[in-house]
Amino acid sequence: MKHPRHIIISLLAGFAALAAGAQNPSDLRIGEVLCENTSGLVDGFGNRNGWIEIFNNSNGTVKFGGCYLTDDASNLKKYHIPSSDRSTQVGPRQSIVFYAGGNASLGTYYTNFTVEKGESVYLVSNDGRTIIDRMDIPTDLPADKSIAKIPVGIKEMDFEVRVNDKPSPGSYNGDVDAKTKSEIIKEKDPHGWVLTLISVMVVFSALLILAFIFGWIGRWNGKGKVKPAPKAKGKVPDEIAAAISLALRQELGGEVYAAIALALDDYLGTGVHDAESFFITIVPSQNGNWNDKTQTFRQLPR
Amino acid sequence: MNTVIESLKQFWFFTGFANCTWQNLTMILIGIIFITIAIKKDWEPLLLVPIGFGMIIGNIPMFPGLNIGVYEDGSVLNTLYQGVKQGWYPPLIFLGIGAMTDFSALISQPRLLLIGAAAQMGIFGAYLLALAFGFDPNQAGAIGIIGGADGPTAIFLSSKLAPDLMGAIAVSAYSYMALVPVIQRPIMLALTTKEERLIRMPKPRQVSQREKIIFPIVGFLLTAFIVPSGLPLLGMLFFGNLLKESGVTRRLAETARGPLIDVVTILIGLTVGASTQADKFLTGSSIKIFLLGLLSFVIATTCGVLFVKFWNLFLKGDRKINPLIGNAGVSAVPDSARVSETVGRESDPDNHLLMHAMGPNVAGVIGSAVAAGILLGFLG
Repeated sequence: MKHPRHIIISLLAGFAALAAGAQNPSDLRIGEVLCENTSGLVDGFGNRNGWIEIFNNSNGTVKFGGCYLTDDASNLKKYHIPSSDRSTQVGPRQSIVFYAGGNASLGTYYTNFTVEKGESVYLVSNDGRTIIDRMDIPTDLPADKSIAKIPVGIKEMDFEVRVNDKPSPGSYNGDVDAKTKSEIIKEKDPHGWVLTLISVMVVFSALLILAFIFGWIGRWNGKGKVKPAPKAKGKVPDEIAAAISLALRQELGGEVYAAIALALDDYLGTGVHDAESFFITIVPSQNGNWNDKTQTFRQLPR
Repeated sequence: MNTVIESLKQFWFFTGFANCTWQNLTMILIGIIFITIAIKKDWEPLLLVPIGFGMIIGNIPMFPGLNIGVYEDGSVLNTLYQGVKQGWYPPLIFLGIGAMTDFSALISQPRLLLIGAAAQMGIFGAYLLALAFGFDPNQAGAIGIIGGADGPTAIFLSSKLAPDLMGAIAVSAYSYMALVPVIQRPIMLALTTKEERLIRMPKPRQVSQREKIIFPIVGFLLTAFIVPSGLPLLGMLFFGNLLKESGVTRRLAETARGPLIDVVTILIGLTVGASTQADKFLTGSSIKIFLLGLLSFVIATTCGVLFVKFWNLFLKGDRKINPLIGNAGVSAVPDSARVSETVGRESDPDNHLLMHAMGPNVAGVIGSAVAAGILLGFLG
């Protein structure tokens, strides 16, 4: 760790590791809880129980196997969600429902406790200690009504807790009849002039700012940062000509000759070569016979 | 004997001949026309040949349920089509475009960026017209992007906003890109005078390597902060350009602009072509989309040329811009810049406009990606 480069790489690796762990159970929320179910959701065994909805508040899939659900703050490991069940994952902005019937032997999604008014329900991380989220159930929650976290705000990442007259187990708690952006635009701007005006302004602004920045950078660069290209004089100074002459007398490779030729060409400004090319192609002399097939012939034995 | 006859009958029902409709034959014919145009006229052959052959593949009449069609889950074509549907291919193509684009012409004359912005009016003009034609705003946005003359952007945006129209939009965009010389030339000649066509622009200044390296970083930061929804396209475009200009990632740049873009071009062309199955493609909407696509190119070219003419009113002496480079604001690189050069040399054989036209041309690539991001932000 003495070398600064190692420290920087370690820091970058640390940030990358943090980013990789972005979608984890901490993104889960207890989205909705219903205690008294007389006419609502029926479980797989035909029973009507209370239920707990877990909502994934992230834009990535989250695995929740190994986490815990409980209604007892002194016993955070009351119901262990089996980590061996491959179905224990929830998609982005999706929900899953646990039936709170008190009989966990019925399956993964059946808790070993029931939910009661006035209690709190906790979602606990797979370490068994960290409370990810909790939902306090009002004592006066009417039958067939749920207490729900409704996503609010432009990003819909924050929540408002309120009693939900129309429980929606397993589906989004927001306005299910919400209009799409396209429908909203169609209502507000039926002919498209507003969107067009804004868009044109944004495109022009973005490119105008870019033009200003690069105009400025160009001027700044021109003030002594970049030496002007040597002008064609049509004549190489005597001392350079002597150095070239000396170099050419040596037994140098073709690459060196090519480099000298290119440098001279650049200096004199007489020609154009592609500055973007990454390599120089040296065509072997047509008179060379090193790969001539006739050189490999041999006389047939007689 | 009965068994043999029954088996032959069953075999017959599985053949293309038994399931053939006139729509299939029409689409196969269109595919053959695409291939013919590409080979004989050399118009966008790298795209029209895969798309044309894809059209033929996608319209072979078949018995449904064999799990081979592009719209049947899990089939080979469907798997390859996911790159189009989910929008993976266009950003990869942008990576290659970035790695092969030299922004020097633009950096040396940054003011030409504005021509690239003006030509994006084709997108928004087509958006307005599409709304007037009765399309929903999301569909209108996807159709409008044809005016950007940028195939990957058109595919990317339509896959997000109007997946049902993607085949028609992509085919329309690529068809008109191939026809850029035919569409733009008469408009340029009609909108400019002989005097204007003779305007000579000063030689662009030399651009340092440092500027070339700064450009993708600053360009990306600025555009992505303004339009984050354009991130996949803008990010890949500028990243590809940084690979090219950094000078230390030669192998990556060569892969991005060589084998990678070739592979993705094959896949995107073939699967977009295959997605134009007759029952989904031969509709009234497709005809409207083709008409709107043509209009969007006309609007883009007109706005680019007129914008330069208007700008010239405020410029003096050798600062004046030849309006023949206005058409190059549409991002059909380098075809529209080539049209500027050709039309310019018709008036003055010694007036080379190509290097000047490349500025707005590559600005158009950035502009259309920004416009796509805006439309995605509003309508997605």
